[in-house]
Amino acid sequence: MANPNPKKTSVKRKHTEKDDAPAVAPVTLKLSGLEMLTDDEDGDDYNPEDDTDDGEVDEFPEIDAASDSEEDDEDGDDEDEDESLSEDEEDEEEEEEGSTEEDSEVESDYHIFPKAKTVISDITGQPKKVYPEIEPDYDSDSSTEEATNRVGDVPMHWYDDMPHIGYDINGKRVLRPARGDELDKFLATVDDPSAWTSAFDKTSQEEKPLSSEELDIIKRLYAGENPDENYDPYEPMVEWFTGKGKEEIMPLSAAPEPKRRWVRSKWEKQKIMKIVRAIRAGRIVGQKPKTTSKYEVYSIWSSEPSTSAPPALPAPKRALPTNAESYNPPEEYLMTEGERKEWESKDAEDRERDFMPQKFTSLRLVPAYDQFIKERFNRQLDLYLAPRIQRTKLNIDPTSLIPKLPSPSSLRPFPNYKSLNIRHPKGRARCVSISPDGNWAASGDEDGVVSLWEVNVGCEVKRWKFEGKIGSIEWAPRQDVSYFAVGVEEAIHFLIPPNVDSTTLAQTHALLAPSALPSAGPTPSPVKWTSTSVSSWSNDKPILSLTLPPSSGVPTQLQWHKKGDYFASVSTGGATQNAVWIHQLSKRHSQAPFRKIKGAVQLVLFHPTMPHFFVATQQYVRLYNLAEQKLIKTLMPGIRWISCMDVHPSGDHLIVGGYDRKLCWFDLELSEKPYKVLKYHSRAIRSLHFHPKYPLFASASDDGSIQIFHSRVYNDLMTDPLIVPLKILRGHQITDGLGVLQVKWNPKQPWLASAGADGTVAVWCS
Amino acid sequence: MNNETTTNQPVSFTTQTQYPLPSQKFMIPTTWRRYHLSQLVNKALGLEKSIPFDFLVRGEILRSTLSEWCAEHGVGEEETLEIEYIESVLPPQKMSEFPHESWVSSVSCGLSSHFLTGAYDGYLRAFDLSQNVILNAPLHTAPITSFAILPSENTTDMDGNTTYTVVTASHDLTAQISEITLPAIGSASSSKVLASLHLHTAPVSSIAARGTQLLTSSWDGLIGLWDTSIPASDEVPEPESVGAERKKRRKIQKDEAKPKRKAPVSVLKSHMGRVSKVSWTSASTAASCGFDSTVRLWDVENSLCTRTISASEKPFLDFAITPNGQSALAVSTDRSMTMYDLRITDLSAATASFMHPATPSCVAVSQDPASHQVVTGAYDGVVRVWDVRSTKAAVAVFKAWGGDGKKILSVDWQRDVVAVGGEGGMDVWKVQGGAGAGPEIQVNNVKKPSA
Repeated sequence: MANPNPKKTSVKRKHTEKDDAPAVAPVTLKLSGLEMLTDDEDGDDYNPEDDTDDGEVDEFPEIDAASDSEEDDEDGDDEDEDESLSEDEEDEEEEEEGSTEEDSEVESDYHIFPKAKTVISDITGQPKKVYPEIEPDYDSDSSTEEATNRVGDVPMHWYDDMPHIGYDINGKRVLRPARGDELDKFLATVDDPSAWTSAFDKTSQEEKPLSSEELDIIKRLYAGENPDENYDPYEPMVEWFTGKGKEEIMPLSAAPEPKRRWVRSKWEKQKIMKIVRAIRAGRIVGQKPKTTSKYEVYSIWSSEPSTSAPPALPAPKRALPTNAESYNPPEEYLMTEGERKEWESKDAEDRERDFMPQKFTSLRLVPAYDQFIKERFNRQLDLYLAPRIQRTKLNIDPTSLIPKLPSPSSLRPFPNYKSLNIRHPKGRARCVSISPDGNWAASGDEDGVVSLWEVNVGCEVKRWKFEGKIGSIEWAPRQDVSYFAVGVEEAIHFLIPPNVDSTTLAQTHALLAPSALPSAGPTPSPVKWTSTSVSSWSNDKPILSLTLPPSSGVPTQLQWHKKGDYFASVSTGGATQNAVWIHQLSKRHSQAPFRKIKGAVQLVLFHPTMPHFFVATQQYVRLYNLAEQKLIKTLMPGIRWISCMDVHPSGDHLIVGGYDRKLCWFDLELSEKPYKVLKYHSRAIRSLHFHPKYPLFASASDDGSIQIFHSRVYNDLMTDPLIVPLKILRGHQITDGLGVLQVKWNPKQPWLASAGADGTVAVWCS
Repeated sequence: MNNETTTNQPVSFTTQTQYPLPSQKFMIPTTWRRYHLSQLVNKALGLEKSIPFDFLVRGEILRSTLSEWCAEHGVGEEETLEIEYIESVLPPQKMSEFPHESWVSSVSCGLSSHFLTGAYDGYLRAFDLSQNVILNAPLHTAPITSFAILPSENTTDMDGNTTYTVVTASHDLTAQISEITLPAIGSASSSKVLASLHLHTAPVSSIAARGTQLLTSSWDGLIGLWDTSIPASDEVPEPESVGAERKKRRKIQKDEAKPKRKAPVSVLKSHMGRVSKVSWTSASTAASCGFDSTVRLWDVENSLCTRTISASEKPFLDFAITPNGQSALAVSTDRSMTMYDLRITDLSAATASFMHPATPSCVAVSQDPASHQVVTGAYDGVVRVWDVRSTKAAVAVFKAWGGDGKKILSVDWQRDVVAVGGEGGMDVWKVQGGAGAGPEIQVNNVKKPSA
């Protein structure tokens, strides 16, 4: 198989030369031929060929190519017409060849293929090659000469144990050629100059020398060149697009801008107008809005769940690293020795920063972060476990928490200055009372002096002197009569002021010293009523005196019922337990309302509108119904020792003051606990009084001050009473730890009278 | 005045006095004080006898330099200040003192040579100018609150004794018409109660007389109108509820000239509370004020209240009508004196307010029609002289009875004399009110014990 291939290639090469065929195709053929060549094994015939070529290894022998046989079909393809003529031409060619290469013996010996003759064609007038006629005898094909191994492409080791290596075309065994041992091989390399250019042919199982062609290919491959010897890497460039007359002028086309580029397409317009007309005519209806099905389909995972749950809280952001966390911080960020020790000695929680600034000369030297896992873990713990509550920060102005109170100036009038000062030089002014018409005031002191003075001017017009302390003074609340009661030691005296209108005076006389005494009650009372007869009466004497039981003490409180017929007296400091008396003027009768009472009674009060009766013991205030004679409720002010109380003119509210400085406001319909507890005096509260007309109340204290409060009470039950502190009146001196002992309002004006322990009675005007 | 830093202030002067300057702008150095301005005005007027002036800048009396005033009020140098000048009030001089044993509730210096006082002990006293008590009449058993001298009924007999008819109001619910005889020298004085006026059921707070008509006001809210004629018999019956002893006494006294019990001509009812003062404004009109925070004007003839000026929570204690009759000055317990314009009929008649540190109890105006001055007495014992054009501060202040805080209950101002009655008795001060020169009163500062 080796032989025909070189022939083929040589024919081809000739052919390409003749026809200017592209050079690529023969290369591939040659390559395949080469491969086959290596497999060839019939080296016997070629060996002499190779020998002859030996001297001219470097020069590629042209002869081989010329000596290649031309196949019939190829020739036939080329020139079918000149079959007859070609015979002659071939002969001529053969002759030429022979003449040109006489020197080579090999050529002459192995005249394989007739030489072509170049003749002038009769038809075309062109020179053409004419090959001699091939005789179809056995020897005509050179390929058949060799007894080649026709075993095919089978592994040759199948024949390893056989004496033959295959079969030839006739079925005869091709015997294994003798192979020399290693010594022969060595000798061959020394002796045979072509030995190093031979290769082992597997098919023939012997060394075969490589042809010069193959050696040339090997040489080229070894040099890293294209194995095709005809390949010219430096072919002259064919200028297809450059050069003279072939220049391309930009833009590619110099044609003017076609009209269609800037004129709207008429066709498109027509098309659009057609659609527009169809829309107008209603033939084309816009897409219906997508019918929302009952259950909207949505992607669960793609968007945030739209629930009413509060949005996920963003995790706290890490603080950005600072200079100290740099791998190469400035020197000042590094820790000194002391700081380092301190840092190390502290617990991790107490450290100001959780790392120690370190300095590295380059980033490559920075070690891996040893706390990484721990820190990640802590961070996860933090994210997972830390309660994250979205706090809406409350911006509360502290001033807004203070209850909105109207300004005192908008709540005028209220007393704000001391207008008058009346002196009781010899003793503490214990009590004061203002007549119901607001013109006169009576004040009593501990020396036994009762002084009557004009409220507005303060000029004393009358003075009475009694034995013992004056405990209380109270004007009768009636307008048609004019008198007041004075409680002194174990007695209550009734005094009529001077300059009373004659009719009033007569009525007062009739009331207090009636000519016909009412019949004594069925049960004789221990209280004696003694009247002075009108004829022997003068202004200096009490017209009526009540003698309380002996050692009952000073009546410290006299409390008139609103209608002026009843009055109650409370005596303290006496030995007797029963200190409360209710006196009735019309019947001239006194009775003790309580047979037995728990605790020492401090104060009593008549309810302004109902037949109710307040009794204050040291810690409790009890409300009795006088008509039904039973306890209604017990109020618990939480005061250790009640000193004073007063009831609002409406009768629904009660204020109670104590020696422990507390003032309790009770809403009687609300609760038994105080609605409000005020503690504003620095010493014990001594006296309280509601103004009968104005929404005011006053409290007097041992700290020498009087405080005025605005106290508006609303009719509807929903509105809480409004209590506004208005004014602190100072002016009384504290003597012996006692300050202001009693305050009373002028019933007609917002004026206040106060009796102080310093012996002065002051009138405070608005 | 050559000081480099001296700046000048353009100033124009106005006045309501009898010394007008031509309207002209003056450039006044701002360092000037009242004295310089007064000299300037005197020089510009060319007065022979220099008159001290006070200067009102925007209703305020100039007490400092002009520059200080300007700085305080933020007035620039280029603003023209209008300065009104008034005749200066000379510092009041104490003329004499009349000590009393009880409080003096009412004083009068209306008589040319006598001072009368009504006191809380019920006595009406008369003093001559040498502080001698020449009359000590126990007219009432209860405190006298107010008295008035009937203007026309004083007669002088041959001995030089002058007889006056005096009406007194008292806490004993009555007013009385009395006749007092003030002797010239040496001889005894006498007094005689002619009639008692019975209407009120509460103390009578004030009494006013004009011509033959009397007005009484009382705490019971009534104002009684009376005439001064003495009836032949009691118009009001004696109360009956008195004991038999009284009847006997009455019988005994019947022969004597017992005061006749008079009934009022008419009663003016409108006040809701205590009436504290009533006063005539003309022959047929009157004004009153009360604790119901009103000042009321009355048509006396028809017993009608013609106008009510209401204030808020100002119980009025006293009031005075300015001489021109155009405004009323009322003092109230809220420590203010308020000026009400009587000509304006709308509600906001209050034109000015004068604040006191203590309760002002009484007020009196200068009788000079050209004067704008008013005195008030207060419970702190201080008499203040105000110019109604200057509301901020009093023009002059003096303390009665040496300033120990005794209450002043009454003031009276006639001509240049201010009589102050109160807790400490009576003080007489010389206050130069208006331009009119009063009668020459021999001032005797020698203190003499009262009788």
